Amino acid sequence: MRFQLAALSLRRHASRTLLAVLGVAVSAAMLLDMVMLATGMRQSFASLLGRNGFTIRVSPRGTLPFDTEATIGQARDATAAIGRIAGVTAVAPVLGTTIHVLGGREPVSAFALGVDPAVQGDYQLLEGQDPAANGLVASDALLRAIGARIGDTLDVAVGFDPQLRTYTGRRRVVVSGRARFTYLSATDRAAALELASVQAMAGASRSDRVSLFMVRTAPNVDPEAARVAIERALPRVTALSTAGAVAEAEHRLSYFRQLAFILGAVSLIVGFLLVTTIVTVSVNERIGEIAIMRAIGVSRSHVVHQIVIEGIGLSLTGAAAGLILGVFTARWLNSILRGFPGLPDAIDFFLFQPNSAFRALGLLVVSGIAAGIYPAWRAASLPISATLREEAVG
Amino acid sequence: MIAAALTPKPVRAQGIDSVPPWRGLVRSIAIDERLATDAGLHLGDLVVLASEPGRSGGDTVRVSAIVRRRADPSEVARSEYRIRMHLGQLQELIGYGDRVDRYAIATTGGVAADSALRHINALAFGFHAYPSREIAVETSKTFVVVSRFHRAIGIITIVASATFLLCIMLLKVDERRRDVAAMRLMGISRATVVRTVMLESSFVALLGSLFGVGLGFAVSAFVNAHYQAVYRTPLRFAIVTPGTVTYSVLLSLVLGVGAGALAARRLSRTPPLTLFGR
Repeated sequence: MRFQLAALSLRRHASRTLLAVLGVAVSAAMLLDMVMLATGMRQSFASLLGRNGFTIRVSPRGTLPFDTEATIGQARDATAAIGRIAGVTAVAPVLGTTIHVLGGREPVSAFALGVDPAVQGDYQLLEGQDPAANGLVASDALLRAIGARIGDTLDVAVGFDPQLRTYTGRRRVVVSGRARFTYLSATDRAAALELASVQAMAGASRSDRVSLFMVRTAPNVDPEAARVAIERALPRVTALSTAGAVAEAEHRLSYFRQLAFILGAVSLIVGFLLVTTIVTVSVNERIGEIAIMRAIGVSRSHVVHQIVIEGIGLSLTGAAAGLILGVFTARWLNSILRGFPGLPDAIDFFLFQPNSAFRALGLLVVSGIAAGIYPAWRAASLPISATLREEAVG
Repeated sequence: MIAAALTPKPVRAQGIDSVPPWRGLVRSIAIDERLATDAGLHLGDLVVLASEPGRSGGDTVRVSAIVRRRADPSEVARSEYRIRMHLGQLQELIGYGDRVDRYAIATTGGVAADSALRHINALAFGFHAYPSREIAVETSKTFVVVSRFHRAIGIITIVASATFLLCIMLLKVDERRRDVAAMRLMGISRATVVRTVMLESSFVALLGSLFGVGLGFAVSAFVNAHYQAVYRTPLRFAIVTPGTVTYSVLLSLVLGVGAGALAARRLSRTPPLTLFGR
């Protein structure tokens, strides 16, 4: 009965109800998007870093991985030292540099990684084999740029001497595979070679040096303890656990998180105000009607329930519509932010997580209930005879 | 990258051309304000620079200047330190030989820049000259994306606020049904009723938008103060421009007047006694 009365009351002013539902839906969509933005980046980045089980990144002291051109010296000794730390199950050394693929009209530059194919976590092989001594796996973007296929031989170099006008670190390598690079975007031209090959091509300045170590720890080991042990064993490095890396990324992208918080809060307030206004006006219009209901013996709680149900109805319908609208707008906003240059394919700014999404929409519905309570209580508390007289006289 | 012995964080060093001979002297460097604050450095202090933490045989230099960085959006999220030192000293310190990363070339004007560019690229082998505007386009791609994102958020916000405003204005006018009925019964014409209600709604919209403009100024001041402190930069993150103010005031006026007209027309067409509930 109460539900029926509430529904009839909302249907009486269909256009107003529709507009209110639309307003709540837009607020709910905005709230949902901001929750997705606030939690999505963190989850997405943590999941990217946690791929292949690598829990710690070791870079030159005071730097983040590949943030500068600094490298770690005596890499073989460092690999062994990290490997001896309790709980460490694998150490993947990585050296980053730029290579130039020669032979075409213009050399094509690409980002190259020197890796140990047995333990690497930088690429997923899509076709072919890991690189051998004179081999290379390339991203689709690089293969397209140079028009090469698996099995082709390439002439590559790592540097250029402007005085002698010659390329340095030149070598002929065979394309052994096609790969997707985990931490790079699909449009990046990238290649992976054996670490020793890259070190040899880069010359004395990169001999026995790496840009980064990726460290895998046993599942039952606290990565933080291993991280501390690595920094103690190697004073020249900074070890960063996945949690630390996520915190650092969050600091750099704190703007988006705070924007999400502010806009989310504003959406919640707007939704609350909208439902409060609609219910209050609706109650004010029906004061005489409510007084009559009270006069014929309808209980105060019945009146309160009916009005609160109206508020819940508006919020629930708006939240449901907002859920659909929010998912679509999140896709749109995500596609915009995915345009950041060099963003890894696996990173999403907006990630739908049912728990967070339903918690946020639940908050909106709770605010809808709260919005209905005051006008309901006020309407149910009016003196019946005085109200009836006032309504009759006008 | 150069590591100053007194700070565990590396600093980005930029070599600049200077007057030889300098050997045997204590060279001077300029450091940025952020490094000076964090490391407690002052003018005249001696510091040791090394290319790697803990490496022996670094260079002892004197801090001769503390500089404030430009408001560069591309650096805003990077919390690195910077020093400026003499080119030859940096080359020697990092074992870079007689090499540089890039040249910046000043020309006399647009045509001179184009012909210099063509000339350099025709002569050059192994490197390439770019016009500054091309580099600016490349390095500002991130901000183009951020700007697009802001525009999208702006569209959603406008839709939300327009719906809210429309709803409120309709309700406000709807609340006046008895007044409108009384006016109509007194013989006031429909057109006058509509105009009165529209005038009222425009006034409410104008007041609201003026309040919103004030709020906008306050919020942008807060946003600037907050993010300038977080990222330690003089960059202004939010700017309220005359264009923004005009756009938002006009939008709210159009919405307010539109909603008022819609509701007023509906009310004026309803018989006065019905409006009274009779």
